[in-house]
Amino acid sequence: MKPLAAPRRSPAWLTGVREAIPLLGGYIPVALSFGVVATQAGFSTWEAAVISTLIYAGASQFLFVGMVAAGSPLWLVVAMTLLINVRHLVYGPNLAALLPRSRHWPWLMHGLTDQVFALALTRLPQLPAADRFGWFTGAALLAWGVWIVGTVIGATAGETLTARWPLLGEVMPFALPALFLTMVAPRFTDKRWAVALSAAIGSALLLTLYGWSNVAIPLAATSGALCFYMVKFKAGRCNP
Amino acid sequence: MSTALWIAVVASALGTLLMRVVPFLWMQRRIDSTTGLNNMPQWLTILGPLMIAAVLGVSIMPVNPSAISWIATAIGLGVTLMVWWRLRSLGWPVAAGVAVYGAVQLVAAGVG
Repeated sequence: MKPLAAPRRSPAWLTGVREAIPLLGGYIPVALSFGVVATQAGFSTWEAAVISTLIYAGASQFLFVGMVAAGSPLWLVVAMTLLINVRHLVYGPNLAALLPRSRHWPWLMHGLTDQVFALALTRLPQLPAADRFGWFTGAALLAWGVWIVGTVIGATAGETLTARWPLLGEVMPFALPALFLTMVAPRFTDKRWAVALSAAIGSALLLTLYGWSNVAIPLAATSGALCFYMVKFKAGRCNP
Repeated sequence: MSTALWIAVVASALGTLLMRVVPFLWMQRRIDSTTGLNNMPQWLTILGPLMIAAVLGVSIMPVNPSAISWIATAIGLGVTLMVWWRLRSLGWPVAAGVAVYGAVQLVAAGVG
């Protein structure tokens, strides 16, 4: 008699690909826009694609092509691009304990964007240790690939597409706040976290409203951290 | 593109990659080391979730801000939260939120 077959489980990389799909709602419209902006700034389609492939960091890419088009000195363009990306410094250490050692990290970490970091920090602890490398690879490579393809499409046909389906460009990006909300909601575990997370969300939104989106993430996270420590201090005084 | 511009692209790409890779590898070595420094600093574990919250705050801003898009955002986030509360998963709440957000925008466009 044959033993009962174990239920088939999808490969870890495929799970990563599947779970990264909601990110694409945000990636595709922004990548299309970047393609359009880059060609309008005088870059060819393949130059825009190379920038998306190599730099792969949304806000800083827009800044890069904008500053180049404006004739800024190149050392300043590089400095500002790197300054915007400084927030990435804290992403890797947060994932270090969740991911196994591998010789592939030096190139795979290229895929560690804001969105992939948020998804990975939420999902990796829920996955078996053996599946985590494959999951990260699948999720990161899908996002990277779509970013590059989106840039190429944007550079070649972006203006036609957005003119034909203007509402699509407005609706699809909503997948990002919806996804991040499902990641943040489980962390409202007590009053202290609720205050800190609300402060981070509120200050990031305010900074974005006032046109400071480039520095909103690190500043808002810092203000949330300050709230986290201040609430602890007050609770300690009330309950010695 | 000129050679100088190519160098600027490569420098920006390399700098960004190093900012992603080096802290990750440094922390993995620190965790695996036998020097006793094998725990993540507390501030770093606090900063991680707060970074996600900040990314949420930035992404809430509608592509074309208007009264309708803000109302659609509020309703869409409310529906996302309600579906998440019932299912505690990632996929369906996002799908429901996007569908409702799009429906509100379509209705508003139809009425307008």
